[in-house]
Amino acid sequence: MRLLFILLIMLFGSPAYAASSTPQGQIKQMVDGVFAVLNSDRSPEEKRTHISGTVQDFLGVKSLSQRTLGVYWKKGTEAELKQFMSLYVQILERTYLNRIENYSGGKVEYVKERIKANKAILDTKFVSSKFDIPVRYKLIEKAGVWQIYDVVIEGVSLVRSYRSSYNEILRKEGFDGLINRMEEKLVQMKKG
Amino acid sequence: MWQIIFFLILLTNIGFVDLAFAQQPEQSTPASEVHGSDFDQDFDDDFMEEDSAQLISDPFEKLNRGVFWFNDKVYFYLFKPAARAYRIVPRPARTSVSNFFSNLSSPVRIVNSTLQFKFADAGRETTRFFVNSIIGLGGLVDAADRWGEIPKKDEDFGQTLGFYHVGQGPYLILPFLGPSSLRDAGGLVADSFFDPLTIHLSRNWNFLERMELRAGLAVNFLSLDDDSYEKIKRDSLDPYLFMRAGYAQYRVAKVAK
Repeated sequence: MRLLFILLIMLFGSPAYAASSTPQGQIKQMVDGVFAVLNSDRSPEEKRTHISGTVQDFLGVKSLSQRTLGVYWKKGTEAELKQFMSLYVQILERTYLNRIENYSGGKVEYVKERIKANKAILDTKFVSSKFDIPVRYKLIEKAGVWQIYDVVIEGVSLVRSYRSSYNEILRKEGFDGLINRMEEKLVQMKKG
Repeated sequence: MWQIIFFLILLTNIGFVDLAFAQQPEQSTPASEVHGSDFDQDFDDDFMEEDSAQLISDPFEKLNRGVFWFNDKVYFYLFKPAARAYRIVPRPARTSVSNFFSNLSSPVRIVNSTLQFKFADAGRETTRFFVNSIIGLGGLVDAADRWGEIPKKDEDFGQTLGFYHVGQGPYLILPFLGPSSLRDAGGLVADSFFDPLTIHLSRNWNFLERMELRAGLAVNFLSLDDDSYEKIKRDSLDPYLFMRAGYAQYRVAKVAK
């Protein structure tokens, strides 16, 4: 009986990650999930919610925010950081989900994977009839799960780009200024 | 004179075409075997220790923002409406126009690849030039990419300077042309000396005619573009800052390639 129990745990213990504990496995799982939703016949709004859920499972929101704020991460209060993270994820989602719909025709090639201690770099290529775009994922392992903390598209790092502009706003207008602006932007984005 | 120089470069590069193909398999070496400074650098690039220093210096920010504003107006009131109207021309035709001028500027890429000792790339660009000019109907079809799987690789004099460790210098927004830097703007001028479009085709044109040609090219380009600028403007807190960060990184990546 106990043996059966152990077997069951071994088989179903960690269903989400058991089969894909490598960075590539995990990104593939995410990408396949996103494409499955894109190619399904759900409404655009439904697709967006589904994709958002899928992607958030693989995103290290804290690692991502930490690197975006850089030196300002230590300066913010806990409440400010929490608010920032929530707004940041929403802005990223609004930004990239609007664009992703154009890309349902392509496929992703996995070029190479490198792992060093708890970090990994996965190079992929998005291939469609019109263009090839190199996409690099940077991942960090947290409790056995690989989480994305940066995406580099054609040499342009998402974190670095946001960081460069957000830090300048932080320097001039402080946390309040940044958060106000982010809230305004979100309202604007939701209007379409 | 330029024709002779170009011809010489062409000749030297034809020899490298074979080399270009011979080298291809080597590029797909499994990464796990490549352990060098690049490898470690990629991982240490963790942003945490980096202070919030800018990616590119911008001493002329006020002026740049002025030009940025100007370009924004020109884009929305002049070029975008023109591009929208021009979309009545079928997409394949517009792509062909873009291909034709891209093929015409092959010498720029060949010269700059050569200046950076990237002979394999120069060879590939030379091959592309011949294939597209002859089989691709004078450059209207990118036959080399479509059937020969030899994609275009952008090389310009800004990248060549970068190859010789010339930094980008201050960030500049050029009227009509958009984001650039002191180095890359200088590179544009240098490249025009290798571009058959300027030194040959429109040699006897007056200033106005040249501007018209450039404007036409811009409209053709924008008609194929999928509202990239609108998207950046809609999604970022400060499009000026966001584009500056993007430009700086994009050029660094281009130089590294």
